[in-house]
Amino acid sequence: MSDTMVTAPAGFAPATRLPAVDYNEAVVKKFVIAAVFWGVVAFLVGVYLATELAWPQFNLGLAFTNFGRLRPVHTSAGIFAFGGSALFGTSFYVVQRTCRARLFGGDALANFVFWGYQFFIVMAALSYVMGFSQGQEYAEPEWHLDLLLTVVWVAYAVIFIGTLMKRQEPHIYVANWFYLAFILTVAVLHIGNNIALPVSVFSAKSYQAASGVQNAMIQWWYGHNAVGFFLTAGFLGMMYYFIPKAANRPVYSYRLSIVHFWSLIFLYIWAGPHHLHWTALPDWTQTLGMAFSVMLWMPSWGGMINGMMTLSGAWDKLRTDPGLRFSVTAVGFYGMATFEGPVMSIRDVNALSHYTDWGIGHVHSGALGWVAFITFGALYYLVPVLWKRSGLYSNRLASWHYWIATLGIVFYISSMWVAGIMQGLMWRAYDAFGFLQYSFAESVVAVHPYYVIRMMGGVLFLSGALIMVYNFIQTVRSPDTAPRAVTPLPAGLAVAGE
Amino acid sequence: MDIEASDLIVGLLMAALGLVGLLLASGAHDNEMYVFGLSMAAWAVLFVFGLMRRHFDRADAARVAVRAAGGRHE
Repeated sequence: MSDTMVTAPAGFAPATRLPAVDYNEAVVKKFVIAAVFWGVVAFLVGVYLATELAWPQFNLGLAFTNFGRLRPVHTSAGIFAFGGSALFGTSFYVVQRTCRARLFGGDALANFVFWGYQFFIVMAALSYVMGFSQGQEYAEPEWHLDLLLTVVWVAYAVIFIGTLMKRQEPHIYVANWFYLAFILTVAVLHIGNNIALPVSVFSAKSYQAASGVQNAMIQWWYGHNAVGFFLTAGFLGMMYYFIPKAANRPVYSYRLSIVHFWSLIFLYIWAGPHHLHWTALPDWTQTLGMAFSVMLWMPSWGGMINGMMTLSGAWDKLRTDPGLRFSVTAVGFYGMATFEGPVMSIRDVNALSHYTDWGIGHVHSGALGWVAFITFGALYYLVPVLWKRSGLYSNRLASWHYWIATLGIVFYISSMWVAGIMQGLMWRAYDAFGFLQYSFAESVVAVHPYYVIRMMGGVLFLSGALIMVYNFIQTVRSPDTAPRAVTPLPAGLAVAGE
Repeated sequence: MDIEASDLIVGLLMAALGLVGLLLASGAHDNEMYVFGLSMAAWAVLFVFGLMRRHFDRADAARVAVRAAGGRHE
């Protein structure tokens, strides 16, 4: 704890002076750097995979560069490495500031969480390219890596909950509720979906405890709630802190944020079966998943409205603050993706959309538009703050990043919508004699141009991210962004605005 | 300078992880477990060295602070 004192905010307690807290920013900085690094890796591997899908020669005939092995590298790098590092970093930043308390457990535990998580990511990626996988989507790591992640995650929960418990503020700010739901639920999901028996303690191969449709049900209970609690609840925590901070406005409705929280976490946990429509899963279970998915539309849009309306009276800042523009556009994409999801969960819509590239387009409108954009918004806010700079090196470059990335998303999702709906229609078309009208290979040929457009969209998104990296490096290193010294005005001279 | 409880607990945890890594590598049936075990042992060693470095950095900083304040450091 530093000896520095700060004046209490207006209305808190006029005569009170609060001791300034020596926050652990070092670990937040490390996670910020990791998020930027893994973001570039995820986008790069994504572009390479999109190229492979358009031109299969790019598999290069090598085992470790084929689509099956690189695909989990891309998804894990995007979700767990980029998204996860951003969530760890921002949650550590937010919980300290909103609780006015340094991270619980000391620097060593925080460093363990950082390095343990990075080690897990590298080991998981290495195991995929070596050909080891559980074959469970978004839960590919084998049992030994799952156990390592469990240890790291428990340490993360101890730090976060411990910091909440030693808070100096009476109230737990809503962003922390979302982060806490993310931490606790992902722990339950991870353990529940990874109950497996290894062939031997010295072997990386294991078999799942559940089999058949039970295994599928558990997998998609995990899979959809990874979307709900990792990619939604955690990033909503980010939204509820960084949008009000960047806009310098309070949350539009704190009451709505609480309704948003409880309704979202109650409804999300039931929605998984919509991934298994028209399968051996009992019909009633499919209907349950569909009904809860449609109900999810309401809390999702409640949250979106809350995020958007927080800008009431500060909309002009979108012209001058590219970081805030990323955050608010992310909320727009959140609204769009959470409308599209319930529509796709309706069984008859799913009959057309499932197994097609419409699903890929939907996932990327959420992953690029919501997850990546809300993260970019937080990063553009955090980098100057953490490195004590006067501002970004270039708002103009951040604007370029915004428009290039937005164009990339438009290329990506519109091409996948067209390709997906075309695939769905071609696969179900039959002639007057009842024979299928198209072979599968014909549908592959038909979507080729859209795969090329998708790849170009990915290149644009990657280019934007590289611009961001340059901007951040210059922000930290350039003398242009050095903190401005406070220079006293000469006595007797009234000069406004200096 | 006393060792912080956090350093001690995390150091012991890392030592345990490092030993588990060596054990897994020693009997590994496949490349994945061999690479994972050795890597975890190497990570544990590096992490514990990092803990020691930070411990002595803090001790040095405390000594410098005492000297700057005009006192003597035992």
